[in-house]
Amino acid sequence: MKVAAVVINLLYFLLLAPFLEGVMRKITARIQSRQGPPLYQPYLDLLKLLGKENLNAAGHPVFRLAPLLALASVLSAIALLPLAGQSSFLAHSSDLMTLIYFLTLGGFSILVGALASGNPFASVGASREMMTIIMLEPVLAMTLILGVVRAGSLGLVSVTEGVSTNRGLSYFLMMAVYLVALQAFVSRQPFDIPEAEVEILEGPYVEYSGPNYALFRYTLNLKRMFYSWLFVAGFLGFMLPGNIILCLVIQTVLILALFVLISVIGATHPRFRMDQALKFYGILLLLALLAVGLGVRGW
Amino acid sequence: MSRAEKLRRWLEKELGGNLISAETPFPGRLFIDLKREALTAAASGLMNQGARYQMGIGYDARKDGRGFGLVHTFAFDRDSLLVALRTFAPGDNPEFDSLTPFIPGAGWSEREYQDLLGLKFRNLSDRKRLVLSDDWPEGIYPLRREVPHDLMPPAAEEVAFRLEEAPPGTSIIPFGPFHASLHEPAHFSVYVDGEDIKGCEYRGFMTHRGIEKLAQTELTYNDVPFVAERICGICGSVHAVNYAQAVEAAAGISIPRRAEFIRMVALELERLHSHLLWLGVAGHLIGFDTVFMQAWRIREKIMWLAERLTGNRKTYGLVIIGGVRRDINRESSRDIRSTLEEVDREMQALEKAILKDRTIHRRTRGVGYLSKEETVKWNLVGPVARARGLKIDARRDHPYAAYDEVEFEVPVADSGDVWGTLVVRVKEVYEAIKIINQCLDRLEKLSKNEPLAVELEGPIPAGRQGLSLVEAPRGEAVHFVLTGNENRPERWRVRAPTYPNLQAVPSMLLNNKLADFPIIVGQIDPCISCTDRVLVVENRSGKARLLSRQELENISRAKRSGR
Repeated sequence: MKVAAVVINLLYFLLLAPFLEGVMRKITARIQSRQGPPLYQPYLDLLKLLGKENLNAAGHPVFRLAPLLALASVLSAIALLPLAGQSSFLAHSSDLMTLIYFLTLGGFSILVGALASGNPFASVGASREMMTIIMLEPVLAMTLILGVVRAGSLGLVSVTEGVSTNRGLSYFLMMAVYLVALQAFVSRQPFDIPEAEVEILEGPYVEYSGPNYALFRYTLNLKRMFYSWLFVAGFLGFMLPGNIILCLVIQTVLILALFVLISVIGATHPRFRMDQALKFYGILLLLALLAVGLGVRGW
Repeated sequence: MSRAEKLRRWLEKELGGNLISAETPFPGRLFIDLKREALTAAASGLMNQGARYQMGIGYDARKDGRGFGLVHTFAFDRDSLLVALRTFAPGDNPEFDSLTPFIPGAGWSEREYQDLLGLKFRNLSDRKRLVLSDDWPEGIYPLRREVPHDLMPPAAEEVAFRLEEAPPGTSIIPFGPFHASLHEPAHFSVYVDGEDIKGCEYRGFMTHRGIEKLAQTELTYNDVPFVAERICGICGSVHAVNYAQAVEAAAGISIPRRAEFIRMVALELERLHSHLLWLGVAGHLIGFDTVFMQAWRIREKIMWLAERLTGNRKTYGLVIIGGVRRDINRESSRDIRSTLEEVDREMQALEKAILKDRTIHRRTRGVGYLSKEETVKWNLVGPVARARGLKIDARRDHPYAAYDEVEFEVPVADSGDVWGTLVVRVKEVYEAIKIINQCLDRLEKLSKNEPLAVELEGPIPAGRQGLSLVEAPRGEAVHFVLTGNENRPERWRVRAPTYPNLQAVPSMLLNNKLADFPIIVGQIDPCISCTDRVLVVENRSGKARLLSRQELENISRAKRSGR
């Protein structure tokens, strides 16, 4: 059963992630008075990209390896997650630190790939991505640390459950911070700065095409779903029932609702500039620290 | 005493024998001929009296034994006066004084004639090529008479524009000609330190196709409006009307009232859809695609309206010398009114959403700032100048058609940044609607039997100068026509609003963030095709020929395989 949980976990994410992008595109289109592509369009896009010739524009092996590494690290992170409250087979040999490690590795691979491409737009994108990681990874860590404080353990199951056990001031503050940061985690407006099409032409991904790019796209989709899942499992964990099937269904519905919210915010805001976003992230970081402090005091 | 009279007396006193003539053939214009030595004195004198520099025009007058002509035009906006200073230099020594030491905005005009006519300018600091492509051979000056309009020198390999090195401590980010935020054939080499812009170099004119040369050698007076209309993909009527006005002024033709109002409707419709287009693009450039989609949805109604009125979404084909070709009857008048009502309503909703959005404020306020002094120094025009506290508008200052008979505001902002240009453009949308409605009121009252265009009595006399302004959506467009003999202009010069505005972009970019590059360049709404004066026309033996798709494919295939 526990081995099966890992497989189900991976399948759940792999199958659903492109669909969620489809939802995002459809809602954005509706807000913009457009018809929008069908919901299954992202699957077709991925398939099409995977069928193309694989170009190594930079001629550097790191350039080729970076997308693989990015996808692998995100998938590894997902494999650890407790699906529907069930501890995964890998839970014994992993904890919170492993999860953060894999997530950072994923961000790191995008940076390395961008820098290996040698494109000036990619390097601007990489430096923006780096700043975002530095400022925002701590917010993610704080959220989980709040769970650690509550649960008194670093185990992933207890941490995710722990976040919502005591719904006091710290819980609501952290939830607000996470919701705002979520827009940056999933790189949508106003925080899609590292990719910023009109300024730096998708930044880190500018030299990528075909299967390499498909892997990055898939990684991005999975990451978006991961961060939304974390919100649902963490902050709304108390709402999820014990029954696995029922839990999965409700969880999926909640993630969908979150994606609707992300799309609406994304479609109704222009993009921030990096310096403006950094100030914003700084405030988020301080608030997250405050929430952990409050959590330690038991508030 | 009028400003023109004052200027004439001042010039007589100041220049003495160097002044050859000063004429006012029609109100609002002063054409001055002077000797080459007096150019700097006269130009700096005009600038000291508050003139705004517009453009330079060079032409080949060797046929008449006068060498090369150079005209500089100046505007006195408060006095509704345009002044043209003309000088000649002998054909074997075509050297003039450069005006750039005191008018930096004259740099492009002078470089243009350095390229196209082989004129030389003393004290011109930047002597790089501006118009000609880098593999164009030295010593062939395409605007000279002996050079045929379809001359195609063989393309040279391994010639490239020599871009400057990045200043120490900075690196170069290239923008264009292929870039997602610059959908135009232009290149900016931007020097950045981290994300801060420390300077830039511009290379444009990549699609210069010699439209002026074509008009001077192949077309006739009445062909040109249709070609002129194709100068710009947005404000075609502006150029058609402008050219027609310049010829009409030179020939002393006055057009029917009905035609004046119909031209105004066409011009203001273009302003409407151009401003909405800009608003959408601006939204896109700061990452706000919803504004882009909504603004373009509203704009689409105007495009459909234009199609119902003229048969085309744009390029209305409306203007000929002496009037217009199509009427606006009662029925279309009702159609226009109801469409405009809808546009007005939807625009108000969009305006509310935009002006209230705090993130838009943050992305546009203080961005691309240029002081009022700099704005005057670079002779900026249009919404870009009006956003910097300069209340200039050719419709109000130098009324043409019947703009002096309609009421409208000239919106001005003084923030000097992208925000200001946004506010000015949004307000101008309502003013344009107001103007169109007034024109329709007047049209409905005018007699239906009035002709749409006057019959021309005899040929247009040669050797006359015409100078015309039209306030295009992007700012003032200037056309200069020198009438010629063979039923075509001897010289026709187009100066689009982007021409001066683009020259000031490096100053606007300085010390801004790289992320703001697209919107800063975007705020002037750069129209590269107007500036380069592009034309894709297949013109042999005076007959326009259309290429079928198959033919086009064959030609491009043949080219690729080197045949």
